[in-house]
Amino acid sequence: MSSTNPTDLPSDDELAQMSREDLVKLGGKLDGVEIVEYPDPWPVKGTRAEKRAERAVALWFLIAAISGFAFVGVFLFWPSAYTAPDTEGYFAYSLFTPLLGATLGLSVLAIGAGALLYTKKFIPHEVAVQQRSDGGSSELDKKTILAHLADAGDRSTIARRSLIKSSAGLGMTAMGLGVGVFALGGLVRDPWAQTDTKNSLWHTGWMNEPGNNEKVFLRRATGHAHEVVLVKPEDLDAGSMETVFPFRESEREDHHALSAALKRSDNPVMLIRLRSEDGRKVVKHQGQEDFNYGDYYAYTKICSHLGCPTSLYEQRTNRILCPCHQSQFDALQYAKPIFGPATRKLAQLPIAVDEETGYLYARSDFIEPIGPAFWERKS
Amino acid sequence: MTKKQRSHGKLHRRVAGLLALGFALMTLGLLYGAFAPQPQVAQAQGDPAQLRKGEQIYNNTCISCHGANLEGVTDRGPSLIGAGEASVYFQTATGRMPATKQEAQISRKPPKLTPEEIDALIAFVDSKGGGVKLPEESGKDLVGDNPARGGELFRLNCASCHNFTGRGGALSSGKYAPALDGVSEKEMYAAMVSGPQNMPKFSDRQLSPEEKKDIIAYVKSVTDGNNNPGGNALGGLGPQSEGLIAFIVGMAALVGITLWIGAKA
Repeated sequence: MSSTNPTDLPSDDELAQMSREDLVKLGGKLDGVEIVEYPDPWPVKGTRAEKRAERAVALWFLIAAISGFAFVGVFLFWPSAYTAPDTEGYFAYSLFTPLLGATLGLSVLAIGAGALLYTKKFIPHEVAVQQRSDGGSSELDKKTILAHLADAGDRSTIARRSLIKSSAGLGMTAMGLGVGVFALGGLVRDPWAQTDTKNSLWHTGWMNEPGNNEKVFLRRATGHAHEVVLVKPEDLDAGSMETVFPFRESEREDHHALSAALKRSDNPVMLIRLRSEDGRKVVKHQGQEDFNYGDYYAYTKICSHLGCPTSLYEQRTNRILCPCHQSQFDALQYAKPIFGPATRKLAQLPIAVDEETGYLYARSDFIEPIGPAFWERKS
Repeated sequence: MTKKQRSHGKLHRRVAGLLALGFALMTLGLLYGAFAPQPQVAQAQGDPAQLRKGEQIYNNTCISCHGANLEGVTDRGPSLIGAGEASVYFQTATGRMPATKQEAQISRKPPKLTPEEIDALIAFVDSKGGGVKLPEESGKDLVGDNPARGGELFRLNCASCHNFTGRGGALSSGKYAPALDGVSEKEMYAAMVSGPQNMPKFSDRQLSPEEKKDIIAYVKSVTDGNNNPGGNALGGLGPQSEGLIAFIVGMAALVGITLWIGAKA
């Protein structure tokens, strides 16, 4: 807080007469600052050193300009379309991203360097003394400011306008509620809504809509979203694993449905073909004894812990690993968890071979919910 | 009819019978040869000298773990009957076999056997039960022309263990999926069809040869320093290591420059 005596202030006439230098000094004085020294960095004008400093600053800005233009040029004209390694033009292509970074980065850096150099070489390094008051505000200041605030509150008459007070409280509470619902509402799902559709937490994309008795076949992803390749039992060697997705004959021409089936989060199923000697050791879950087809077992790929894809299948140890939290499931024991944080088995999909076409199909949806737990889930 | 005539007729009938029987047998033999299916059991084929050389190599380097008749030795090594060309090639060409010790996973090392010895060993093991064959092609001919599709297939089938740019990753109990840098096209193909150690097998009916070649094209395009515009993959783990390096190195550099500027001013 400035403690300038008002009598030191110039009158209007004096103010009109003051030079710029005087005004600068006056401004400093009003803030309690006294400029001791204000040396000109180049007291002798036009020396070679001054010119050199000027050129150095200009050089940095010039570099910034050149690399800025270079960035635009690279962005527009450099070959940026993907080129495979070992083909012609790969080297040029591989420089595209580094060149973008280098040119724009150099441009930013050069502007910074130029500005710094200019400040260092040409802005006078003043020596100034500023008065600084120690401790907190004075008692006078504290008292007056508190009185001011209390007076403002009093004059607003809010203390006796209870209608405004309560309506404002109600409005703000409702608005806060709205913000809370906005932030959290999307995370809350009613597990009892639509329990008989595939969009509920209880079912997956392997479920047919009620009244639709189509067979749901096991489909292989080939890298082409609209290509339909179904799986036959002889397709997998013993000790194999493959990710399969549901397919219905009615969707064969429906490109949207075909690519959606590959992306739906509860669809991926691991189809595992055990070695015959391992197949003899399998322990099946009660009530799911006929869910496999020979040595073929189909388990959901969605981890029962937090829903990561558990697709690390070790064909010698017959363990299924989840990469997120290191849960392990034993494929020879109905995919029950044997290590890590998962507590429930991976749900098993009942499969069989269609006698007409010879393709594997799902006899029904999973008989239990897949993926992470939710409150209403019994197991 | 006189007795002589009777005996003459008897001889005639006998000769005719023998001729007919011979003709019938010959026809049957020819027909069998024409229609009989090729034998399903594997048979020793190829150069006997090659097989002898292979057997010698087997007896010198493999027999203690895989047994005198390739039947395997409990807790040492599995049976090699039906192991096939692809498996023998992969294990020996990548130096995993002959193994130096029993451990969670046999690691890649410089091959102990020369290519000629590997060929002889392949012929010998193949003569004892066949198995998955190696592809006809090798080298650049195994690189498909659609690495983008190969990338899709790699991310679906391989990336869960080998990481999305083939950097490898951990498995259970000390096992791991190795990084794919420096793995030849033929080794990759052989690994896919034979499923070495804990890797699942990918038969040609599950992933067609063209799909396998596309996968190889993708792996080749992201390993060995390819498609690595920053110059250092930082482990290829994705945003974690990049973020950490950006934070530590970048922040330290900024603080350092700021201090330097402050010192100069």
